[in-house]
Amino acid sequence: MKKKVISLLLVAAMTTGLLAGCGTKEAATDSANTETSGEVALRFIDVSTSPQRQEFFENVFAAFKEETGISVEYEGVPWDDAADKLTVLGAADDLPDVITMHDAWMGQFTQAGWVIPLTDYYNTELKPYMNVATVMGVDQQISLYGDVYRIPDGLMNAGIFYRKDWVEEIGYEIPTGADWTWDAYFDLQRALTDSSKNRYGGSFRGARGGFDVVQGMLKDYTDGRVYDEEGNCLFLTDEAVAMFEAFCAPYLEGCAPKDALNWGFTELVDNFSGGLTGTLYNNTDVVPVLLEKMENEQWGVLPVPTATDGNVYNSAGYSYAYAVTDDSDYPEEAKQLITFLSNAENNMEYCKIAGMVPIRNDVEDDPMFGVDGPYGGFLVQLDYENLAFGCGYGAFDYTDMHQDMMHTEIQKYLLGQQSAKDALFNVCTELETRMKKYLADNPDATVEAPIYPNN
Amino acid sequence: MKKKITPWLFLTPVLLSLLLLFGYPLIRSVFMAFQNYKLTAPNDVYFVGFDNFKKVFATNEVGMVAKNSLTWVVCSVLGQLLFGMILAIVLKKNFKGRGVYQSVVFLPWAVSGFVVGLIWRFSFNGEYGIVNNLLLKSGIIEEKVSWLSTPGLSLAVPTIAMMWIGIPFFAINILASLQSIPSDVYEAADVDGCGMLRQFFQITLPYIKPTLITTVLLRTIWVFNSFDLIMVITDGGPANTSQTLTSYMYAKAFGNYDLGQAAALGVILMIGLSLYALIFLKITNYDKAGDF
Repeated sequence: MKKKVISLLLVAAMTTGLLAGCGTKEAATDSANTETSGEVALRFIDVSTSPQRQEFFENVFAAFKEETGISVEYEGVPWDDAADKLTVLGAADDLPDVITMHDAWMGQFTQAGWVIPLTDYYNTELKPYMNVATVMGVDQQISLYGDVYRIPDGLMNAGIFYRKDWVEEIGYEIPTGADWTWDAYFDLQRALTDSSKNRYGGSFRGARGGFDVVQGMLKDYTDGRVYDEEGNCLFLTDEAVAMFEAFCAPYLEGCAPKDALNWGFTELVDNFSGGLTGTLYNNTDVVPVLLEKMENEQWGVLPVPTATDGNVYNSAGYSYAYAVTDDSDYPEEAKQLITFLSNAENNMEYCKIAGMVPIRNDVEDDPMFGVDGPYGGFLVQLDYENLAFGCGYGAFDYTDMHQDMMHTEIQKYLLGQQSAKDALFNVCTELETRMKKYLADNPDATVEAPIYPNN
Repeated sequence: MKKKITPWLFLTPVLLSLLLLFGYPLIRSVFMAFQNYKLTAPNDVYFVGFDNFKKVFATNEVGMVAKNSLTWVVCSVLGQLLFGMILAIVLKKNFKGRGVYQSVVFLPWAVSGFVVGLIWRFSFNGEYGIVNNLLLKSGIIEEKVSWLSTPGLSLAVPTIAMMWIGIPFFAINILASLQSIPSDVYEAADVDGCGMLRQFFQITLPYIKPTLITTVLLRTIWVFNSFDLIMVITDGGPANTSQTLTSYMYAKAFGNYDLGQAAALGVILMIGLSLYALIFLKITNYDKAGDF
């Protein structure tokens, strides 16, 4: 009898132990978010982690706890895995309280209801302190999505990094003003290529994000637009196809490493700073890496080339903006954290580490962000009279395309598996289908138009 | 009657854990294969019949991906078998430093796939990789080869890496099996004037056949299901030319966020692998293997 009782007890204990591991998510989340003392504990995910960023955030979170008593747990995820990670967490209703969020995920996250509107909070707490370019970017967000969901962390715009020392060495004169066109940029890549010195004039983004570069350039022929008023994709004209071919030509001619077909952001930056490539079309966030790894006289920044219509199509984005998720039990505390992160001191410190221009009015005098500083090449572009902010892909969910199809179609063209026209056709047809469905589902929505900030 | 229930009672926790951790996901994935299940729209899930299966077969790439899978499995398993057997035969003989040599050659099996993937990716980098450097210096090639961005070669790199990882597993199993062959059988064969080749085919091979069958079967299934090396070394690229069915399934799930289509692929793979195991065991006469 005694043996039987012990047996049953053992079985019961093992079964209970097993089932204890299957607790509900709510219970787990509650215990994670509320410390034993009753203090609020927030979770935060940074989608572009680096040792510098992690150190910055952890220091700020420590100061935040000292001031408010709210603790924040930092979690970092590498950029290339970020969309997957957040999508899985979103689908499992387990997103942390605050996330840093890319513009490309807005359609997906707003449609799924994973992030909450922050318009009132932004208008009262942050807008009065933000500079013109930042406010303009947020206004564009409101016009597309109806609300503010992402609070800018720092301002990023594009430019072309180039090896100043190589250019001087070969005595090349880079055209300026209206003569600085995309063709001039392609010629610069050819001029800087020197196989005897193992130098490639160009960098080519063949992997994730590759189409973003292409579409930025194709807007030359579409007045900065992606669609017409009916939602038809505009990238299928003969001029656009010819431009796409011209864009890929330096790669096909050997002016960029063959392996660049697989390059994403990390490889682009590593190979430019490592001395393999001579130019790199990218955003301000490359600057901190170059400041760390290269001598100042080795590199410079050229503006985005002038389009055939005379405009310079650039962007004023904030790639890792702060958002509060629908899964948060403490949205007010989450907003408090964003306010703290966005104060003048923290924003300045953050922008120096992350390679962005501060979003606030009260930090403009720092020499780092003056026209003679490392960001000067980007800042001067914001004052161009012919500056235009081109349109995005749309307010619908296109994360899956961004993760796979868009760059795969380019790769197929570069490998000779399809024509340039077919590559553009495949991407455009899918974008057009989604845009038209979005317009049909949202009768009040309009197609985005470019912004001319200085006109 | 009571005696019959008691063992089941003790098995209950294990059975429950199996049901929860293995049975539920399995059944769930079969359900998902018939659903429109996008990770980006988790609140909009509905049944679509066989649509996901139709989509899988309608994709242009699926033929290429299936062919890649076959190349990946056949080449890497055959390579592992061949080199594993050579290694085992070498290690069966006693020589000075055998212990150290054995630990070194078995090392790849102990290293994580992710680390191996990174090492191979750097080694085969078209610009800085040591492989190009050695080949150029030895005059085998005249120009740098873009291993990871050339269709065909991009699949060859993870295949060789997989071969390298798996050789020790074959070697360990075959060596254990070789050591269990009684030495008097070889002595008798020597007395009868039997040559080395004949000894190998008529004594060694029949003795180690059960081990070979089990190892090949297991490795084939493991290699087929493995995609970590592909993800780390090429990420399936360029243009999906180094995708295998399992890495393609992963890409569908976490690149396109289409869990329905990924689950359909998973179901097809599960059926395919089960059929393979049955046919393989049947044609290799596994039941009778090792009988003398």
